[in-house]
Amino acid sequence: MRVLVVEDSSRLQRTLGAALRKSGYVVDVAGDGTEGLWLAESHPYDVIVLDVMLPGRDGLSVLAELRRQRKQVHVLLLTARDTIADRVQGLQAGADDYLVKPFALDELLARVQALCRRAYGTKQPRLKIADLEVDPQARRVQRGGRAVELTAREYLLLEYLARRQGEVVSRSEIEEHIYDGQVDPMSNVVDSAVCGLRKKLGPSPLIHTRRGLGYVLEEAPALAPS
Amino acid sequence: MKSIRRRLTRELLLVALVLLGGGWVAFFLAARTELIEQFDATLRARALTLTTLAVREGGHLRLEAADRLGRDFSLARPRDFFEIWDAGGAPVLRSDSLEGADLHPPASSSNRGVIWDLELPRGRGGRALAVYFQPRIEGERTGPAGDGGRALLAVAGTREGLDEALTELQAIAAAGGILLLAAILWGVPRVLRRGLRPLDDLARQVSGIGADSLALRVDVAGLPAELRPIAGRLNELLARLEASFERERRFSADLAHELRTPIAELRSLAECALKWPDAREPSTDRDVLASARHMEMLVTQLLALARGEQGQVQARLVKSRLDEAVREAWAPFAARASARSLQLGLELPPVSAAVDPFILRSILNNLFDNAVDYTPAGGDIRVSVEAAAGNGARLRLANTVDAFEVADLPLLFDRFWRKEAARSGQQHLGLGLPLARTYALAMGWSLSAALEPAPSRLVFTLENSR
Repeated sequence: MRVLVVEDSSRLQRTLGAALRKSGYVVDVAGDGTEGLWLAESHPYDVIVLDVMLPGRDGLSVLAELRRQRKQVHVLLLTARDTIADRVQGLQAGADDYLVKPFALDELLARVQALCRRAYGTKQPRLKIADLEVDPQARRVQRGGRAVELTAREYLLLEYLARRQGEVVSRSEIEEHIYDGQVDPMSNVVDSAVCGLRKKLGPSPLIHTRRGLGYVLEEAPALAPS
Repeated sequence: MKSIRRRLTRELLLVALVLLGGGWVAFFLAARTELIEQFDATLRARALTLTTLAVREGGHLRLEAADRLGRDFSLARPRDFFEIWDAGGAPVLRSDSLEGADLHPPASSSNRGVIWDLELPRGRGGRALAVYFQPRIEGERTGPAGDGGRALLAVAGTREGLDEALTELQAIAAAGGILLLAAILWGVPRVLRRGLRPLDDLARQVSGIGADSLALRVDVAGLPAELRPIAGRLNELLARLEASFERERRFSADLAHELRTPIAELRSLAECALKWPDAREPSTDRDVLASARHMEMLVTQLLALARGEQGQVQARLVKSRLDEAVREAWAPFAARASARSLQLGLELPPVSAAVDPFILRSILNNLFDNAVDYTPAGGDIRVSVEAAAGNGARLRLANTVDAFEVADLPLLFDRFWRKEAARSGQQHLGLGLPLARTYALAMGWSLSAALEPAPSRLVFTLENSR
């Protein structure tokens, strides 16, 4: 899951970035509205944590511009403004959630996670595919009741595929969401990671290759295109 | 509670009753006097007739045209009476209507005549005139008959008609008085109510204004001239109150906002450290310290501002060189200004003024700090000092600005105001300028700001006109 944090307080920006990364997100940060808008326009973020009062361009203006461009990214407004009028204004501007400073870190992480679930059209806290179960909250994976040990990167890949179960996910999408978009286009880092993940998940493969298109995580083997 | 309406009603009723009651009594008395005078005039006319007709003939008095007189004073018309006495006081003639009774003239009777009230035959009340006269002597047309021939005439009439007229007058006066009283009691409160309606309207409008509706204003146009100055002053007061409330509301909200971000920073840092103790970043402690310092600076400046506004800052004024103070204060900012390619223009002739050196240094620090940080890179800062009228002095600091507008000027000295909406993560808290102005006031100086056009320059003027 890729998250953008737009916050002008450098200390808060660092802390939020670190907390989100430790929670398994790929995180980009921006210190002002102009940079935040540029990043949001350039990358397919799952969630944007957006401060309202920003130098350059304020958060509501960034949000309005994203919605004008019909970007469907989920936005969590983070602000010190706590009046009902401020909340209403933020939500009416197109925000999906609103959190007032100071906030509990766990609450912010839970809200970001809820927005990620909404981003992939599910309300279930746990992701299940056949006998595979992914718990994003605890970052645990089980197959057939047996725990599967994964590296952080493998877990991110599995969670992303699980959230988009049944859909063909291209390599570039995986690169964007799991590898910060910093992957060399000619490298096979995604293929290697998928291969490693398949091995750890054991027999009865759930990750299927759709040649020339990408990968799909589903129970039954996908039919090859005619 | 005192009520203007009740007091006015009471006093107006009292005045109206006294004036109208007095007028009414005066009218009644005048009418009564007039009626009595008319009655007396009739008596005098009759007396004149009788004295003209009285003739002395051979030592006896008689009346000419006695037949006609006899009809006028007969028993058939028992309203008019007369009696004549000779010089010795013996009755010589009397009207039939007296039925043999006497009129008993008073001893004070004279040639000018005396009028008195008396009881007439059959117990009727009457009024009479007694007058001495000199009867004519038979055969002479004019001329007195000598003192020895003087006679006393008394003419009387019943008061029944007069008393009836007076009673009627009294009745009319009483009925009129009652009607007038009722009219006053009915009319005065209504007139007052109508007259005081604008006051009621004003009271209603004012009572509708509360702490949450200070934007309301009294409609001055609909008020009478007497109330307009009050309403005008009230509106001015409301405007000042509204501005003050708004400033306090904004200050509270701003203060909360200013504190929320560093608290959020501290809380997140602490929660992160607790949640992932093994992955504690080396920068965590530095960030905690920076947040704490930020809050400390905020509290320190707020306290300084509060003390200044409460007049707790005592300035110790000493004669000092303003130009030297500016040079010393600028020195620590020179490197920062140079790093941002800011051009400095100093015009500092020797100028002395009565200042508190420490307070002046604080003011200059705030002004220079803002100028160095907010002047666009490559812009210029100009500082000048000059002597002003009397023993005054003036310091002028102008720096180029790019996004500052005239509309920002009134907000410039508001607490926590900054041109840029974003406030966190900056060194400026938005308290420097209000603090500088408060300090200037503590020294008896003033600090004002203006915007010069083309190129846009924000100009601060610190001056003392004393």
